[in-house]
Amino acid sequence: MLGRRAELMLGAVFLLLGLFVIVVWVPQDSETWMIETFRRQTTMGDAFLPMIAGALVAICAAIHLFMTLRRNEEQETDGPVFDGAALAFLVQLSGLTALCLAVMYWAGPIAVQLFASGETGDAATYRQMRGTYPYKLLGFVLGGFSLVFLTTSLIEGRFKVSRVISSILAVIVLIVIFDLPFDNILLPPNGDW
Amino acid sequence: MGVFEYVWAGVMAVFAGPEAFAIFGVGISITLLMVAFGFFLGIVIGATPGLGGPFVMAVSLPVLISIFGFTPDALLPIMGFLVGVMKGATVGGSVPAILFNTPGTPDALMTTLDGYPMTKKGQAGKALRTAHFASASGDTFSDLVLFTTAPFLAILVEGYLGFAEKAALIILSLSFVAAVVGASPMKGLIAAFLGLLIASVGTGEDLYPRMSMGTDFLANGVPLITAVLGVLIMGEVFSSFEQMWRDRRTEAATAEIPQSGDNSLSFRERRKLMPFIGVSAVVGTVIGALPGIGSTLAATLGYATGQKMHKGPVNFGEGTPEGVAATEAANSSVSGANLIPVLSLGIPGNVGAVFLILAAESIGGFNPGPSVFRFTTTEVNPELVIAFGLFTTMMFANILNWTFGGQFMRWVGIMVKIPKPALMPIVFLLTITAVYVQETSMLSVYFLLGFGLLGYVMRKIRMPILPFVISFILAGNLETALRQAFAVSKADPLFLFRSPLSVVFLALSIIVVIFFSRGKKSDPKMTSEVS
Repeated sequence: MLGRRAELMLGAVFLLLGLFVIVVWVPQDSETWMIETFRRQTTMGDAFLPMIAGALVAICAAIHLFMTLRRNEEQETDGPVFDGAALAFLVQLSGLTALCLAVMYWAGPIAVQLFASGETGDAATYRQMRGTYPYKLLGFVLGGFSLVFLTTSLIEGRFKVSRVISSILAVIVLIVIFDLPFDNILLPPNGDW
Repeated sequence: MGVFEYVWAGVMAVFAGPEAFAIFGVGISITLLMVAFGFFLGIVIGATPGLGGPFVMAVSLPVLISIFGFTPDALLPIMGFLVGVMKGATVGGSVPAILFNTPGTPDALMTTLDGYPMTKKGQAGKALRTAHFASASGDTFSDLVLFTTAPFLAILVEGYLGFAEKAALIILSLSFVAAVVGASPMKGLIAAFLGLLIASVGTGEDLYPRMSMGTDFLANGVPLITAVLGVLIMGEVFSSFEQMWRDRRTEAATAEIPQSGDNSLSFRERRKLMPFIGVSAVVGTVIGALPGIGSTLAATLGYATGQKMHKGPVNFGEGTPEGVAATEAANSSVSGANLIPVLSLGIPGNVGAVFLILAAESIGGFNPGPSVFRFTTTEVNPELVIAFGLFTTMMFANILNWTFGGQFMRWVGIMVKIPKPALMPIVFLLTITAVYVQETSMLSVYFLLGFGLLGYVMRKIRMPILPFVISFILAGNLETALRQAFAVSKADPLFLFRSPLSVVFLALSIIVVIFFSRGKKSDPKMTSEVS
């Protein structure tokens, strides 16, 4: 169990979510209502399941709120849900992941733009070059390596040479598993281009 | 076809199915190869603290589907691999628990109580042999129960349950899982209904994809495997990242203890262990057949029962082989019994079963549930052949376990030395890659990360993951059953309450929630390994 205040907030959030679903989201965003009658035939509409689910989320959240309000303060057992450290960690991890995925996505196309040319000498596109080395693996290698290495460093709070090696090895192993034996498998981000 | 012809067809589908390669002109079945690969990989992963069978099943499923394709021939190799992993990880989990006091999987926690003291006495080899013997015995017993129970249960369900009763049964299963997993049944129920809600996005029967907000992003619905991987695996990865980030200054190296005691396990000693193994196997099988409870509780109950039976010179908790045997037999016998609700009702009761259902749903041609066990005589029921093929893969994995498992598990103790801070970021990249190779779109990676964040938040707010995942998977079946029941009842608003059986199921759903809401479950061992 979380602290009483956290449980109350949790209940309130899910109560609001359930109410939002049944009052706004489903009615506004479904073609048919819960029960539909068309040419004298009555069937279950598309809104039925999400309306029931939303209503039950709201009901359970309300019961949870009620039960938490009746609870004694002494029953609090766990620490806070999100403290400053958790938020700081999440922000760092999100920024790092976004950066590495951007590297993964753009490294190949930028390299093609800078260095590659087509068979007739004119500028080549990444889609044309994504099956040829080194462009094929450039995004995955750079993005994958930076993702593994920077995440490890973030967790350990320092940069280690051994982690550079293990990160490179990890990327190589993944390429050996996914890319070398199969012609029909595309590593990220090649399927998007 | 008669019953024995179906059984034989299932056996042949495994042994004489598509060949991987041939040795001296004898073809080696790809299914057998995949079961063996899955089994040994499962032991390695089970022996690696921080990883577990569900992780390998999750990341390998999209990759295997990409390799084998969406054909019925892919079913047995892929499901055989998953079965192998499930069994291997159960055996492997005890290795670090015994050698280093670090459970490789959550259900091996109780194994540390006697396994590690035995290691400290120089009897690590005996403890590992005991764990393997108990684990293999429990696992085989529960598989035999599965083979004999599931078909009868399925025939019963198929014969007596109509659409309304099937819908009510799914509701009962969801409320049971929601009530027993985690510390608060209300949170479990919120998680289950949230799963239904999210599964509704972009699906339905109308031309306009409901709840898609007019976006292409949501119009095709939430990709099933990506969402499950996100909540289960990515959520766990993010949580462990944060935990390691907080604990980074308190990490201590694990020391290896030199072994000099009696490390053999004689026939006489094995016979002395049998009562403990037998009782624990029954406890584990009963627990495993109930959806959502999990092997951790089975291990706890098996250990407690063994403790009551024990009258030997060394007490439980001080390093007795009976303690190791009671725990391992109980947690291993869960894995076979877990498939009883899957194959007879189509309801996954634990994470391993979730991935078997996902594999079947993704590939097609096999819909786990009561319709599988239709013993049609005039025409062949291919699903039944697959079901018996699946049973054959389980028995083959058991044979591997009895013959090579014990020796192999004694070799993988080294896995505990892999530092978790270096391992988990690799898991992070591996999961992203596995999802991408199946969906070939960065959009799926964003979905994965989004659901990973959801899984992380759910863990933070102590909301159980398993009810969410199971209801997400069963939402389609539930909606179909509700629609059909409503149509058959000629639009009767009380269509779910017209059959006595359906009323019983719905009443039980409420009783289960009230019953578990009354007692405060603060013991973490009571909760599922997922949450």
